[in-house]
Amino acid sequence: MYAIETENIIKQYKNGVQALSGLSLSVKAGEIFSLLGENGAGKSTLIRILTTYLRPASGKVSMLERNIYTDAAWIRSQIACVAQQTSIDTYLSLEENMLFQSRLYKIPKTEAKKRMEKLITDFGLERYRKYPVSSYSGGVKRRLDIALNMMSNPKILFLDEPTVGMDIQSRISMWEMMKQIRSDFETTIFLTTHYLEEADSLSNNICIMKDGKAVKQGTPTELRSLLRENTIRVQFHNIEDAKEYIGVLKGFFQQEKMIVHNSAIIIHSPNAQSDMERVISFLAEYHIPFQGIEVAQPTLEDVFLRLTQSRQGECI
Amino acid sequence: MSVFTILYRNVKWRFHNSFTIVITILQPILWLVLYSAVAGQTMKNTGIENYTAFILPGLVVLVSFSTCSSSGIMNYMMKSNGSFYRVLIAPIKRSSIVLGQLLEAVLCTFLEVGIMGYVSLLFHVRLATGITGIFLILILVFLTAFFMAGLAYGISLILPNEVIYETVMNAIVLPVFFLSTALFPADGISGILRIAININPFTHVINVLRDLILYGTVNTNSTVFVFMLFILMGSISFIWALHGLKKELSL
Repeated sequence: MYAIETENIIKQYKNGVQALSGLSLSVKAGEIFSLLGENGAGKSTLIRILTTYLRPASGKVSMLERNIYTDAAWIRSQIACVAQQTSIDTYLSLEENMLFQSRLYKIPKTEAKKRMEKLITDFGLERYRKYPVSSYSGGVKRRLDIALNMMSNPKILFLDEPTVGMDIQSRISMWEMMKQIRSDFETTIFLTTHYLEEADSLSNNICIMKDGKAVKQGTPTELRSLLRENTIRVQFHNIEDAKEYIGVLKGFFQQEKMIVHNSAIIIHSPNAQSDMERVISFLAEYHIPFQGIEVAQPTLEDVFLRLTQSRQGECI
Repeated sequence: MSVFTILYRNVKWRFHNSFTIVITILQPILWLVLYSAVAGQTMKNTGIENYTAFILPGLVVLVSFSTCSSSGIMNYMMKSNGSFYRVLIAPIKRSSIVLGQLLEAVLCTFLEVGIMGYVSLLFHVRLATGITGIFLILILVFLTAFFMAGLAYGISLILPNEVIYETVMNAIVLPVFFLSTALFPADGISGILRIAININPFTHVINVLRDLILYGTVNTNSTVFVFMLFILMGSISFIWALHGLKKELSL
C-alpha cells in the first residue's frame, strides 16, 4: 500500500514563482522516505501541499488511498508535521503543549494522558517537565515538537529538515528516534534533509528533486548504482609511494583516468571488477608494494551532485 | 469543543503576554481619569453633571477596539513561532479556529470593561439601570467586541507585519472614535460632521449604552436597531475573517 502518491503536481505561487513543475513520486506505507534537493527545489512547498496547507494548481495527490482534494479533513486526522521551525507554544508547559495537541485531534483525555506519559519517556523528556518550555535548548524543543506531533499516532509523519543546526550527538539521537518511530509506531516518515549521510543511513527510499521535479527515485543502493562508475582504490603506505607509482600505472592503464588522493591512487573504471584483477596482476608482477586494493562505490553525495548539477533532461 | 480548545490556548497566551492587557486598558483609563477630570469642569456648563459617566460608554467601545486589535497581533506571533501552521493542518474546523480567537478577544474585553467599571465607581459613576439593563449592556459589549475582533482578525491576515497592522488599526480606530458621540453630545453639530457621526454605527451603540448607564432608560427602537445592526456587522466580519483564513491555504 502506498502512503503517498503524487502525479504531475504543479504549483505556482501568486507572485509568479514556479515551485513545482510536474512532480510525481510514491511513498510506501511504513517506510522512511527522504526528499533531497537544493534550496528552492520545492521540497517545503511539496510538504505544505501534502499536509493540506496549500492546494496545487493541478495534478493528482492521494494519501493513504484518499484524495487530498476531497478528503482533506480525514487526511488531516492521519498526519502530523514537524516543520523546519519548531511549533511549540512557549507560553504553555510541556504537558499543556502535548494535551493541547491531543485536544486538537479529539483524543479522549485518559488515552491522551497515557500517550503523553509514553512519549515523554520514549523521547527522554522526563527531566524537563518542571521547567518552562521557553528555557529549553533547541534540541530539547525539537524533541518536544516531534513528541507532541506523535500524540495523535499519525500514520504519516512529515519531518522538514529536523536535524538542521543540531550538533552531531543530537543528530545521532534524532536518527535513533526516527527509527524508533518507524518500528514502534509503524509510522511512515517523510523526511526532507540536506544531510546526505542522514538520508543514506535512514531511508528505505530517496527522491532527488530539482527545479520542482523528481529527477530520480529509488533505494540508496539503486541511486548509487546510477553512476555506473565505480573506482578502484589502491592504498599505499604513504603519499610519496602513491606519487611514485602513479606514473607506472598510467603507463600500463592508458585509457583510465587516475589521481592520487591522500596515500591512495584512485582509478576511475567503467569495468572495475575486471580492471581490479588486471591491476593486482600488474602490481604483483612488478613487485610494487601496496597496502590494499578495493572497488569503491560512488557515494550518495556523488550521485546527488551529478543529478542536481546536470542540465535538465540530461541522462547520467 | 474545538472552539474551547482554541479559546483555552488563547486565554493562556493572553495571560502569558499580560502586558497586552495593561497596554490596551492604559489609554482608556487615562481618558477616564485625566481627560474626564479636566474636561469635566468645562462640560458642567453644558448641563452634563458627571462627565466621567458621560464618556464611560465611549471608553467601553474604545477598550473593545484596543483589545480586539491586540487579538490580531496574536496571529503574527503564532505565525512566527510556527503554531499557526500546526493548528491549520490539524483536523479542526476553520470556523472553530476563528471563533475561538474572536471569543478570547470578547472575554478580554469583558475583563477590561469590568476594570473600567470598577475604576469609574471611584469617580462617582453609578449605574442607573437594573438587572435587565446590565444584561443589555453585556450583550452590546459582546456584539461590539465580536465585530471588532472579526475585523482585526481579517486585517491581520492581509497585512504583512505587525508594524503596518498597528498603523492601519490606529488609522481606523481613532477617526471612528472621534467621529462618534464618545466624547461630546452630537446636538450642536451640523453639516457633514453630523452626517459622519450619524452613519458611524458606534455612535448608536454608545448612545444606547449611555441611555442605560446615565438614565436607566431603554429606547426600544434604537436598541433593536443597534442589536440588528451589530448582529449583521458581526456576522459579516466573522465570515470575512473565515474567508481570510481559508485564503491562507490558497497562496
